[in-house]
Amino acid sequence: MVIQYVLLTFFAIALGLTLRRARQGAMSRVAAFLWSALWIGAAFVVLRPSLATSFAGFLGVGRGVDAVLYVAIIALFYLVFRIFLRLDKIERDITLLVRRQSLEKRGSTVEKE
Amino acid sequence: MEDKNLHMRVYAVVPAYKEEGRIGAVVRTLLSHVDRVIVVDDYSGDGTAKEAAAAGAEVLIHALNRGQGAALRTGTEAALADGAEIVVHFDADGQHDPDAIPQLVGPIERGEADIVCGSRFLGVAAVGMPRSRQTLLWTAQKFSTAVVGMPRNFTDPQSGLRAMRAEAAREIDFLQDRMAHCSEILRLIARSEWRAIEVPVKVRYTKETLAKGQKATDAVGIVWHLFLGSLQR
Repeated sequence: MVIQYVLLTFFAIALGLTLRRARQGAMSRVAAFLWSALWIGAAFVVLRPSLATSFAGFLGVGRGVDAVLYVAIIALFYLVFRIFLRLDKIERDITLLVRRQSLEKRGSTVEKE
Repeated sequence: MEDKNLHMRVYAVVPAYKEEGRIGAVVRTLLSHVDRVIVVDDYSGDGTAKEAAAAGAEVLIHALNRGQGAALRTGTEAALADGAEIVVHFDADGQHDPDAIPQLVGPIERGEADIVCGSRFLGVAAVGMPRSRQTLLWTAQKFSTAVVGMPRNFTDPQSGLRAMRAEAAREIDFLQDRMAHCSEILRLIARSEWRAIEVPVKVRYTKETLAKGQKATDAVGIVWHLFLGSLQR
């Protein structure tokens, strides 16, 4: 089916990118491993949709597609939350920079006086 | 400078964002009650900084808008670096009454307290506070004691008017950049060993202060930022 090829291509590219970023050191080893596992696992599910169905049966959810969707939504929620936390941290860092610059400027004018 | 029988060095810190037309008067009245006024212009981009400086304040400028809490913290650090003995936090929009400053500073100078917060709910009726604002603050008070950890005997969760002894101000390590700093400061006070009290202050609500002040929907943002903040570090 076409969708299988589309998805497999996407996962292959994603895996390639993940590995490249990991080699460049832009990603921690654990993160690279988790992301790779996700792409490879997803590829397996695409190749053997019955895997998702048995996973759904294990969870007690009707169809394989439903189980995949539930897991995907939980994962997305978690990732969005992580991004929120990261943004909050970046905001705090920006504030520290702005404050330091403002106080340093003050220090230099006070010395001039 | 009538009531300058103050023997401690008092700094007022005023975070200001687009307060052109109001900040000058605030600074002038403040200067009759405190030794120095530090205005932190939170990247207003208007005449706020100039007007404050002309009125006699020292002006610090943020190169980006970082929020009221962030500006307050910048000013507080500057005051402490200068050797301030008491730091007073004061709003720029003219809703606070500068005559309340002796009531805030007095207990610290007499050694009765380390931190004094102004409360809008201790007997003195606020002028023109709408019922919706009263309800909002009542809810916030209950929430703040139960969830955020505000001192149980405190009545006003979002008061921007407070005075702190320098040692206390140095230790109250507030990091919330926006409006959540009020609740955050109260929680830090509750968890500290400093003696904190509330004194009644009068607040004047005008069309302008209400327009610039907080809305009920901001409460959601405050709670959200407190939650995120509790997960940092």
